[in-house]
Amino acid sequence: MSAEIIASIADVLTDNIPLTPISQGAEAVVFTSPVHPYLPKNRTDGDDKLYILKYRPEKKYRHPVIDKTLTKHRTLGESRLLAKLRLIDGLNVPKLIGCDPYHGCIWLEFLGEDLPNGHGFSNLKNFLWMNASDPYSDLVRDTMINVGKQIGLMHWNDYCHGDLTTSNIVLVRAGEDWQPYLIDFGLGSISTLVEDKGVDLYVLERAIISTHSSFANRYNLWVLEGFKSVFESHGKAGLGKYKDLIRRFEEVRLRGRKRSMIG
Amino acid sequence: MAGIVLKYKIPQFQEYTIHVQKYNNVTNSSELRSKLAELPFAYIDSKTVISVEQLSSAIYKAILETEYNRMRTRTIHSECILSLSPSSNIGDALNRFGIKEGTTDIIVIKIIEDSNEEPYDGNASVDGDLVPVSDDEFSTSADKEIIKTVCIPCDKL
Amino acid sequence: MVNLNGIPPRGKRNYYLAIGLEGSANKLGVGIIKHPVLEKHEDSDLSYECDVEILANIRDTYVTPPGEGFLPRDTARHHRNWVVRIIRKALTEAKIDDPTKIDVICFTRGPGMGAPLHCVVIAARTLSLMWDIPLVGVNHCVGHIEMGREITGAKNPVVLYVSGGNTQVIAYSEKRYRIFGETLDIAIGNCLDRFARTLKIPNAPSPGYNIEQLAKQCKNKEKLVVLPYTVKGMDLSMSGILQYIDTLAKDLFKKNLKNKLLFDSRTGEQLVTVEDLCYSLQENLFAMLVEITERAMAHVNSNQVLIVGGVGCNVRLQEMMAQMCKDRSNGQVHATDDRFCIDNGVMIAQAGLLEYRTGHFVKDLSETIVTQKFRTDEVYIAWRE
Repeated sequence: MSAEIIASIADVLTDNIPLTPISQGAEAVVFTSPVHPYLPKNRTDGDDKLYILKYRPEKKYRHPVIDKTLTKHRTLGESRLLAKLRLIDGLNVPKLIGCDPYHGCIWLEFLGEDLPNGHGFSNLKNFLWMNASDPYSDLVRDTMINVGKQIGLMHWNDYCHGDLTTSNIVLVRAGEDWQPYLIDFGLGSISTLVEDKGVDLYVLERAIISTHSSFANRYNLWVLEGFKSVFESHGKAGLGKYKDLIRRFEEVRLRGRKRSMIG
Repeated sequence: MAGIVLKYKIPQFQEYTIHVQKYNNVTNSSELRSKLAELPFAYIDSKTVISVEQLSSAIYKAILETEYNRMRTRTIHSECILSLSPSSNIGDALNRFGIKEGTTDIIVIKIIEDSNEEPYDGNASVDGDLVPVSDDEFSTSADKEIIKTVCIPCDKL
Repeated sequence: MVNLNGIPPRGKRNYYLAIGLEGSANKLGVGIIKHPVLEKHEDSDLSYECDVEILANIRDTYVTPPGEGFLPRDTARHHRNWVVRIIRKALTEAKIDDPTKIDVICFTRGPGMGAPLHCVVIAARTLSLMWDIPLVGVNHCVGHIEMGREITGAKNPVVLYVSGGNTQVIAYSEKRYRIFGETLDIAIGNCLDRFARTLKIPNAPSPGYNIEQLAKQCKNKEKLVVLPYTVKGMDLSMSGILQYIDTLAKDLFKKNLKNKLLFDSRTGEQLVTVEDLCYSLQENLFAMLVEITERAMAHVNSNQVLIVGGVGCNVRLQEMMAQMCKDRSNGQVHATDDRFCIDNGVMIAQAGLLEYRTGHFVKDLSETIVTQKFRTDEVYIAWRE
């Protein structure tokens, strides 16, 4: 991770907000911090609570005007999307804490925990690895169905994730079960298009196949089961929409997502 | 410092000291309303605030806009009131979140720029009972129906 | 591992000879190359180290007057008129007296414009029948990629293929050049060419080159003209930007004083020049290209980029890409010069010869049908691991 990038945001946030980098994508760098960006300290929030900072650093290759505008636009866009998603009953997304579009910063609640026996962070990818020895247990089945339900709820409300991989689904403990949360809506959008929803499903299917190929078939069936149940609960209209969606999903699968183009 | 005041700083903006006070059973609302332009405070209708987090996130936004962009209103205090609102219409924000005729419970924000100003003496010109600032206190005087109307964008209701 | 020496060269030589014919757009190219037979290619993954010797690289471009684009019918006529001359010239330059010694005739099977492609394949079939030499049909994009790999020595970079007809971000995986990101509507070269037409600037040597030169002359670089930025995930769209900037240019020429972006609302003074528009267009389009390239690199965990295709000649694009690569754990950008960036016959020969050496070539003339639509990922890359 570039020291320059860390230095640039640390400069803005000052020493009062210590940052620990945890991942870096093409567009943004993710940090954790034990310090809340604005809540008065004399509150009983728990001393070991962490917060997530998603930071879009400046890109030197592009013109400064383009860079500033794009960063602001994307930061605001993602924040607004998260705020809207949060209002959907039953949909699990991280809580938005703060937004600084002038520096490309989004503050979010920290979700998930470390899985036992060194299996890493509690995202769906690691969870499936952890359960590889008993892949078809009730726990795994229920979790995959719940994942499907979350995606169904999101699509039913006409939102798309844009990058639905198993690393972008975080599992949060809820008693004996795990509740799936969808994270990282950097490529997310409001969309009524079956194409976009089909692509979401396809990307997740591919992600599950590529990392857990032996059990992928069952896993993907369970996801679709949960997904379908959301649409079914809205009667005939819901089922109709579901059928259209699945049809497009199958088309996307055949094409491999890419549209045909003239040379 | 007269009474119980929540006093804190935002980690990345050490230049400002923020004070929050709550007054119940206020008797001089009309007087305050007529002098809003001169009084260097933000007077907020308690019915519109449900938690310390909600209030402090608006204060954070106000300072962020002031420091990194530009103030849309005349003072940092009116900026705080605008930041409570989901819309950018200043008039609407001041009407909905500011004190009205007959408001009895008020939240006061006072922001001091340390290098430029004297420390705050706690006198917010309010005639009322000063009570400790807390989530419990805020949620008691909050009106959920009003909050739903003013805080959540109309298309979501 | 792959064996590239499976089919020995003709006449028990220790080198292969291939001729490549390219004519999918307005450039007609004939290239002749030589690959030495090297032991290292018996069982390895070294298809980017063929030690190619370029014996001839002849090209003629059909250039239209300013303000006009090239139409398939006229382009095909140009190719028909020139192809024999160019083939002869190439053979002379390569000092090949007996063409029947050539191992394989490679032609562009697609993608591209129908009539021009057709014209060139007829020439290829004719030579094949005349000299009794096998044919290999080549995907134009794959030609660019293989030429780029060979010339720059880049082993496994993410490829940005940008030309008048194509805009794709490609990464190799399991015998296919997989498309990670691409244009959802028009190609970037097409966008630049059409804007050049609106500006009525000359088409020689190429409209894109002239836009690049105008952009360099921009005196107002701090004040960028803001254009729509349309990256959508891993893909991008450019028709909206073209429409917008065409309108700006037309307003500029018509002196539409109502346009506040172009003319001061009080004094009517012109605020934006043609050079400013060219500069802003490049900065915007190239930033979008670099962004989707970076996304692909993050996906496959690479820090190398190879830029191929006519628009790859653009120095500003190379600069921007280099800056992005450097910021990504000190990566590098690879690019070729205009001999190979721009459509040419040598790249067709290179990709075709590689395919031939793995034992694939046309068994029946019916397999030589050309096609306008031919996706890069449809080709089975037999010569890589």
